[in-house]
Amino acid sequence: MSTDKSKRKLLNPYHVVFLAQSVMIGTGILSLPQQLSSLGYSQAFMPLLFGVIASVTLYPMIWINSKYPNENLFRINEILLGKWLGKFINLFFVIQFIIFIAGIISNYMHLIQSTALQEQTITGPVLCFLLLLVYIVSGGIKSIARFCILTFFLTIGMVYFTHWAFEKGDFSHFLPLYNFFSVHDFYEAIKRGYLSILGYELIMFYFPYIVDQKKAYRHTLIGIWISILICFITTAISVMYYSEWQLENVEFSVLNLFKAGEFSFIERIDIFGITLWVFLILSTVAAYLWCAKKGVDSLLSKKSNAYLYILAIIIFFVVKMPFSRDFQEKLFYGANYVAYMLILWPILLIMVYALRKKKQVQL
Amino acid sequence: MSKKLLCLMLFLQLLFLVACSEREKKVPLEDVGMVGIIAFDYIDKDSMKLTVAIPQYSPEAQRSTQTFTVVTDLVSNGIVEIEKLSDKKIVFNQLRVVLFNEEFARQGNVRKVIQHLYRNAEVGNKVLIAIVKEKGEEMLKYNYPDKPNINFYLNDLLQPSINTAFNPNTNIHDFMYTITNPVYDPIIPFVDKNSDKIEIKGIAVFKGNQMFELINPKEALIIQAIQGRKNLAPLDITMEQGHGKEKLLIDLVENDVHIKSNKSMTLPKLTISIEIKGTLSEYKGERENDLFTTESLAELEKDVNKELEQDIKKFLDKLNEWQVDPSGISEYFRMYYYGKWTTEKKREIVSKVAIDVHVKTSIISTGTLK
Repeated sequence: MSTDKSKRKLLNPYHVVFLAQSVMIGTGILSLPQQLSSLGYSQAFMPLLFGVIASVTLYPMIWINSKYPNENLFRINEILLGKWLGKFINLFFVIQFIIFIAGIISNYMHLIQSTALQEQTITGPVLCFLLLLVYIVSGGIKSIARFCILTFFLTIGMVYFTHWAFEKGDFSHFLPLYNFFSVHDFYEAIKRGYLSILGYELIMFYFPYIVDQKKAYRHTLIGIWISILICFITTAISVMYYSEWQLENVEFSVLNLFKAGEFSFIERIDIFGITLWVFLILSTVAAYLWCAKKGVDSLLSKKSNAYLYILAIIIFFVVKMPFSRDFQEKLFYGANYVAYMLILWPILLIMVYALRKKKQVQL
Repeated sequence: MSKKLLCLMLFLQLLFLVACSEREKKVPLEDVGMVGIIAFDYIDKDSMKLTVAIPQYSPEAQRSTQTFTVVTDLVSNGIVEIEKLSDKKIVFNQLRVVLFNEEFARQGNVRKVIQHLYRNAEVGNKVLIAIVKEKGEEMLKYNYPDKPNINFYLNDLLQPSINTAFNPNTNIHDFMYTITNPVYDPIIPFVDKNSDKIEIKGIAVFKGNQMFELINPKEALIIQAIQGRKNLAPLDITMEQGHGKEKLLIDLVENDVHIKSNKSMTLPKLTISIEIKGTLSEYKGERENDLFTTESLAELEKDVNKELEQDIKKFLDKLNEWQVDPSGISEYFRMYYYGKWTTEKKREIVSKVAIDVHVKTSIISTGTLK
């Protein structure tokens, strides 16, 4: 048992930083300026606020994990809530992960179909994508972490593509600061925009694999703030470059930012961006799929690699499901609310933990 | 062993199944008609004439451009009609220029058409827009004897060069940005066919959705200067400031602009300070023989300042009278206004604003000859 435990410690600090960072940046950031558009020009600083919220909500996650350093959230649920309730909650999370993954893939494929491959069906690309995904995930969490590091360095160069828009944009759009009054607009922006930075909550599942668990909070925080900075750059440049109408109506505004420039040898940089984006999608989805697989393991109390394939097949059918686009949107939207629940979940667990401890002391 | 066999079986099955799959119809490149220019001519409220120019690469063809014209109510409907006439599949990936005739710009809905193109993922955002005086169809169908191909000709003409930097060179993004931004009114270059050539005649200023007035290139230069463009076209100045009639041309103009507003919505006031630096490349007038000393040049600079201040003020007052704001000066009031900014507020500000212009010219050199 002891050798098994030492083998489980796989993730060094760099892995932790980039796992948090890369998982956060998926399809969300592509349409982040649009999601925040209820605030108009004042949206530019929202990502910084999100960063603060993320840093605060990260703390309870790490705290509850540090009480059980060798267990992931699925096991913690079972320990604290009892076997059956815990399992029920776990099932809930697994379903949410599956729908969430399907949502991200479907979103990306929708983008590919509407811009790059207009005359093709997406079945082929989805299959290829899932095959690659299964390959990455079957390598375990360390292989995902390494893939995340690779993704970061391959795609960070894309920030350069926004400089044309930056040059053309107008700084005066930032003024007046905080030009919004309605609380409703603010709430709407948080509700729709916060989704773009989800991903750091997965630390509750890979925490047992971290070597230096005491510093996990700090490392994850670094990852979160790298992502927040990228989100901030994106929204700030969008605010400078677009009019308020455009912020609201251009669906993938980041790609339109890329369109602002041109090299002498390549004109449509946005197509370049879309294809590179597949790395970002893969790194996000891989981490979620790995967590879903862990969840299935804990539900059936038996580990098998076959679950991974079964999950991939389920995801394929969710993406290709024969329902209307409206129903799909609603389903993915619903999954997002559950994702918010997952962020607040550790607070509930902490309460349960405290109550149990009290009881033990009394006994 | 059985695994290997299974793999082999699967592979063989897939190999043979390929024949059963439905073949996707891919159009080879030589069968694709890449639209280079698309022109819209106004007919009446519900219909328009749509003309496309497609470069013809076939060596046997007599003309280097294919043109098709249809009458239609919707843009995409027109494209379908053109596809029926054409021997090729029509795509927009190589679209470079969109033309509207003057009547369309004055009566029709330019925004609707451009928005349709903006939505289309095939079309880039750098497609240039221009307004044609008479008929776009004629311009595309005319045989320019010394030009290889209308597609390249028109695109090159509308691209900015330093001498035509006055050209606002409006592309799809710029148009959508200015028409949806309540601090701006769009401007679009205005071209006309002049015997065998196409000429940029002026700049069309929009008021809301419709074309409103035509201004001359020199005035458009002022708009560009106020918008903060760093390099400007050569300044051609004619002045009468106590030294008889003088004409001069300042080249390689570097521009630096500072605009300050008094932040008041009721008594708006705007101070525009423009600093320009350039070379005096030509001078014609009374002072021709005594422009060798720094004192005399300083004197000339002063006169130029005065003249430019008057010109700019006159032009801005004209715009304010029309209540249009192509240079976006109302942005300097929006910046300090809490609440939602609307087009009505822009019109209100522009009609009330008092503008103070300060120009500081410095002539860096007079060329290499003493």
